[in-house]
Amino acid sequence: MNVAAYLRRFPGWVMLVLWTVVVLVPLYALVISCFKSTAQIYANPIALPQVWTFENFVSAWESANLGRNLLNSFLVTGVAVAITIIVSAMAAYPLSRYRLQWGNLMLLLFLAGIMLPIRLASVELFNLMKTLDLLDSLFGLICVYVAIRIPFAVFIFANFMRALPRELEEAARIDGAGEFRILFEIVLPVVLPAVSIVAIFTAIAVWNDFFFPLIFIFDDSKKTVPLAISGFIGQFRTDWGMIFASLAISLAPVLAMYLVLARQIREGVGTTGVAK
Amino acid sequence: LRRDLFWVARDVVESKSEMAQRITRRGRFSLHFSAIAFILPALAIYALFVLYPLAISLWGSLFEWRGLRQMDFSGFDNFGRLFVFPNVERFSGAFFHNVVWFVGIMIFQNAFGLILAYLLFQRKRLTTLLQSVFFLPAVLSPVIVGALWRLLLAPNGMVEWLLNSAGLHEGRLTVLSDSSWALWMLIGIDAWNWMGLPVLIFAAGFRQISFEIFEAARIDGAGSARMLGSFALPMMIPAISSVTVLTFINTFNQFDIVYVMEGVQGNPGYATDTLVTYFYRLAFGAEGAVGITDIGLALALGTVLFLVVTIGTILMLRAFEKATVQP
Repeated sequence: MNVAAYLRRFPGWVMLVLWTVVVLVPLYALVISCFKSTAQIYANPIALPQVWTFENFVSAWESANLGRNLLNSFLVTGVAVAITIIVSAMAAYPLSRYRLQWGNLMLLLFLAGIMLPIRLASVELFNLMKTLDLLDSLFGLICVYVAIRIPFAVFIFANFMRALPRELEEAARIDGAGEFRILFEIVLPVVLPAVSIVAIFTAIAVWNDFFFPLIFIFDDSKKTVPLAISGFIGQFRTDWGMIFASLAISLAPVLAMYLVLARQIREGVGTTGVAK
Repeated sequence: LRRDLFWVARDVVESKSEMAQRITRRGRFSLHFSAIAFILPALAIYALFVLYPLAISLWGSLFEWRGLRQMDFSGFDNFGRLFVFPNVERFSGAFFHNVVWFVGIMIFQNAFGLILAYLLFQRKRLTTLLQSVFFLPAVLSPVIVGALWRLLLAPNGMVEWLLNSAGLHEGRLTVLSDSSWALWMLIGIDAWNWMGLPVLIFAAGFRQISFEIFEAARIDGAGSARMLGSFALPMMIPAISSVTVLTFINTFNQFDIVYVMEGVQGNPGYATDTLVTYFYRLAFGAEGAVGITDIGLALALGTVLFLVVTIGTILMLRAFEKATVQP
């Protein structure tokens, strides 16, 4: 590459590097602040700590009951993802593989849910949960998340399944396999990329959600991570080291997942464009 | 025609086999039954927890409410109350903030994200790494992002320290409690949170444009900026459409960042109040004043917001579809 071409590209690189810095510096400050006392954070927020101390993590873990909150979040996310995948794959299978006159209409009904502002229904949803005795319960939270994530999951599964050749299940059908077995043993293994897209984005959305726990969960022992964090950002405002440590603990699982699955996530967002 | 004949012939041959005959007979009869059985679990959950609450919320906005009890039919009374003193002040303020938020995100996040995506598209080195970095904040919970930035922007926080060290600012940084700054800070943080989304969607859009178009433009002597504006953008309308619609839906559902950083009142002095924080206060009560709710007004507000979001989304999708260049 000659010098002129290099110079032409320089301003672009400056912009890219600048945004990288804007993204990474706050996260860097978060990580190092976990190991510093509040006084040290005040004195110089971006310097490395002189002494690396784990006290903040210990006090965050003990005083905030974060372990319990993490467990709740893992439980809710795991179960919600599993149920979402199973029921959505089941619904998408006939909608994309059978010739049904009402198939497109049904698909449209599901897809409308991607756009519907469900938060506005939260008053009546609250009344419904009260009637069903699902308030203040992790199971109730799981039901709501599955219902909210079904439209996106059906959309993804239907798109992937539609592209498969018709011979795929016809051969199995002639062999006498039931529809249930055809879906779970023949079709689903072929659309594994769809399963991973649905799993990843459902997991992120459920893990990060704050609105529904805020409305439906009151008991401290049933709070999920975002709700717990919002609760004590007000309470312990003076102990910054501890808040930073609790933020770091609560975003560690998602961050770990992102480091492992960055490629799949990038491709998933690029191709579907429906991450949130 | 020959192909059709082949398929017909194949069907005839197949239907002669006893096995296939049994399957088609069973197929006609049980196809719908089997389809319904497969769809039912998802449909039941979706209908019970999404469609049903939404439908009776819309219906309920036409009734008078006492606490959580639905009273008499009152027509459009709740909507009328939304547009008169004292509610209209909160309502129009929140609506205005949502509109500003949408415009702000379109400029600071989506237009800037388009430029970043184009810069990445033109380059070969480091591009996947940078895309991963840009998307990193998007996997974090808006609550965590809000809490983090609340500490960074607070007096004694990192931003104040950096600005003071660079000599750009003196003394205490109070942007979060300054009503002329607060909303813009939240919009900026939202853009920081979600910048990776337009970058990834636009980057995928650029990759789908055929290489020949860029080559032809280059041979015509088009510069980098003109290549983006005159040649690439018209081909990018599907990507622009999905980013715009996503931004629209998410903006009018904005809640988490405001709640964590400025409280459910949209402090300071309602300067960061949004339609959903206003809705939340009406439906579930504000901090320190739990119990002062107005369900009728909340449902009316919800219905207005529902209409704005659905009609807006459909109109946008239509407009973008018309503008799409058919290759």
